[in-house]
Amino acid sequence: MSKLDPTVLRHKVQNINALPTVPAVFKRLSSVIENPRITIDEISAFISNDPALTTKVLKMVNSAIYGFPGRIASVSHATMLLGLNVIKGLLLGVSVFEMMQKTMSGLYLHSLACAIASRVIAQKKGLKEPEEVSIAGLLHDIGKVILILEFSKEYEAAMNEAQGEKTSIFKAEKNQFTATHADVGSWLAEKWRFPRSLIEIIGYHHRPALAKNAPMEAAIVHFADLLVRARGFGFAGDHFVPEVNTAAFEILNLSGADIRDVLRELEENVESAGDIS
Amino acid sequence: MPNIPTIKLEPGMKLAKPIMAKNGMVILGEGTELNETWIERIRDMEIASVFVDGPSIQTISKEDALAGLDARFALVSDKPYMKIIKQYVKEHIEGLYEQT
Repeated sequence: MSKLDPTVLRHKVQNINALPTVPAVFKRLSSVIENPRITIDEISAFISNDPALTTKVLKMVNSAIYGFPGRIASVSHATMLLGLNVIKGLLLGVSVFEMMQKTMSGLYLHSLACAIASRVIAQKKGLKEPEEVSIAGLLHDIGKVILILEFSKEYEAAMNEAQGEKTSIFKAEKNQFTATHADVGSWLAEKWRFPRSLIEIIGYHHRPALAKNAPMEAAIVHFADLLVRARGFGFAGDHFVPEVNTAAFEILNLSGADIRDVLRELEENVESAGDIS
Repeated sequence: MPNIPTIKLEPGMKLAKPIMAKNGMVILGEGTELNETWIERIRDMEIASVFVDGPSIQTISKEDALAGLDARFALVSDKPYMKIIKQYVKEHIEGLYEQT
């Protein structure tokens, strides 16, 4: 089978509203989020007008993914506290649950755990906005969802290859698609007008050395992803722990105590975070 | 400290973290020993789960958990830093099976 042309793939991603396999609800959300003129008040209203969405967003905002000590009781408080990018990311995070469950069982749990781990590590590194890294952790594998929806047979072949050849899903994707879920994720992040740093983190979470704008943040999500796989939370396409990028691990400079803390917070919170649905 | 779904709460369990109302007010403090009344109240508040004291509940045996860890690290155990990372995870997993 010839490899899929990456420009075809990119075109599809940039026009997901034209893809019949993507659920209508998600397309609507995507349109709202990618609107360059959307204001934070408009997004706030979009959420508040939907009681089910409001509940999900507030639940996630108050969960270990963000780690706020106080409780956030209203959407307007959340939007004021978190800002446009994080709210957009949150909205996507609660909305992809069903799509993730349908395309890859265990992917949502993996993503939630990665969000939690990313937030904890970002706080340990003293980053000013750990919530943005948390969002990147939550959405880092969203590219897999679109690939599976649009190319289910090819993705199945990739997963079989990963299992049979004992290789990573990332490598298997490269063989099937030339582009990977990281590329697809970064194209989506671009489409949704996320800042360059977030686009980079998602695009380079497997090769964090390439992230020139956000090297620390990319290293964080790279390591969070690895740690979550190491502990075995959820499933992201293969059963293997990837090799850590040595430069990334070195700039993170985490102590044994740090890593133990991250694992402990993950252990305490992953199960309840899974109640986000 | 395991996170127990509200449905599975039993009298005698002790809260590991306080339960708070939506406005942040503490309703049941850390260390409270739960009885039937409190459990019903927690359910009425529509709280999904609470943290209680005790060893975390594991669904697989320690041997299986560690075997799984070995399998996951099989391709990378000799790569830079991977041994120490695996060691931290291993110690964490072993800690889950200790009675506190």
